[in-house]
Amino acid sequence: MQDNLVMCTVCVLPETFPGISFDDHGVCNFCRQYEADRSRHIEDKARYAAKFDELLATLGRGGGRRYDILMAYSGGKDSTYTLALLHRKHGLKVLALSFDNGFVSPRARENIGRVTDALSVDHIFFKPRWDMLRAIFFAASKQELFSRKTLERASTICTACIGLVKATCLKTAIELEIPMIGYGWSPGQAPVQSSIMRTNPALFKMTQAALLAPLEKSIGEGVSDYFLGEKHFERPERFPWNVHPLAWEPYDEQMIIAEIGLMGWLPPEDTDPNSTNCLLNAYANEIHLARYGFHPYIWEIANMVREGVMSRMDGLHKFGEPVPDSWIAPVRTRLGLA
Amino acid sequence: MPYKPEIRQFIVDNFLFGQGRDKLQDDTSFLEGGLIDSTGVLELVAFVSQKYEIAVEDDELVPANFDSVNNLAAYLERKVGHAG
Repeated sequence: MQDNLVMCTVCVLPETFPGISFDDHGVCNFCRQYEADRSRHIEDKARYAAKFDELLATLGRGGGRRYDILMAYSGGKDSTYTLALLHRKHGLKVLALSFDNGFVSPRARENIGRVTDALSVDHIFFKPRWDMLRAIFFAASKQELFSRKTLERASTICTACIGLVKATCLKTAIELEIPMIGYGWSPGQAPVQSSIMRTNPALFKMTQAALLAPLEKSIGEGVSDYFLGEKHFERPERFPWNVHPLAWEPYDEQMIIAEIGLMGWLPPEDTDPNSTNCLLNAYANEIHLARYGFHPYIWEIANMVREGVMSRMDGLHKFGEPVPDSWIAPVRTRLGLA
Repeated sequence: MPYKPEIRQFIVDNFLFGQGRDKLQDDTSFLEGGLIDSTGVLELVAFVSQKYEIAVEDDELVPANFDSVNNLAAYLERKVGHAG
């Protein structure tokens, strides 16, 4: 990011972030709001940890079910740690599902293999047709496809990709009657209020429509094959609970890397500092930063600094170094943008 | 309780960044209008939960309750009580 930007003196949000303002001490409005609610945030973590235990008691473990939970498994450090928590700590029967967006790093593929072997969990790798993926990412590179609000949390490319991931996981859970889907969102990525929530069919139908409409307009009707159809919405009783335990579990990046290292997980050498699995990420970030003036990961990192799970110095380090063009150029070529 | 003005203020401040107030009609669909996304709905739920001290049940998290100023105000009237 540009060195001459004014940044919050507590978190890492820059003056270019939408809706930001600073007080006389250089503290941003988001930090001030968080500080006013700090005790509630702490209470929420304990409350949701207990809520998860209640959910597991209600659903029961195993029994006649083949799987208790579908884990959206990217091979990154957070989803790897979450997978281990669900299987080992909570004793759940897990089906891990990895969505191959065409840019899964070689190191991530190796990690996925080693970790699923170490945990002895069933695993699916799902890869949509490359021409469809290419068309989606090409369109997301060129156009602002989604609402401005989505841009606070992720690049357009990432929003399109994660929409496909969520739809794939949801379809699979409904079709295989798996009552929960697990995600490895970091504490900064999603609010704790969403960390245990049953997918509401009516609400999902509307949010899917908002995501699908611009994609269909750009690419054509074929993209809808990768999203939920009427046959899924006709089974509302099968819609699963979404859980992301890192919202309430203790979170320390170094601790997590050490723990998952015992399962054979190795840190990547082929991805940017904000991803441990995806080769598309650096390119997506570059576009977003150039277009909007702030990094798409800055909201997540700011939240983690505010919560105290990451130092401000470590947070700034995530954006400090320029990404080599050797990571960007191959992506442009592959998407036909070179 | 003046639900509609408070809801409108929250939407304008958090999703329109203080702009576009005049474009936000009471029957504007938040989702179809591209004003908020799925995570934004959760932020809206957190707002009403804290401000009005209510617990939003999962089966209440439906567009009929949360997808416009009118819908949300009607939901709050039923859940919290009528305007005084």
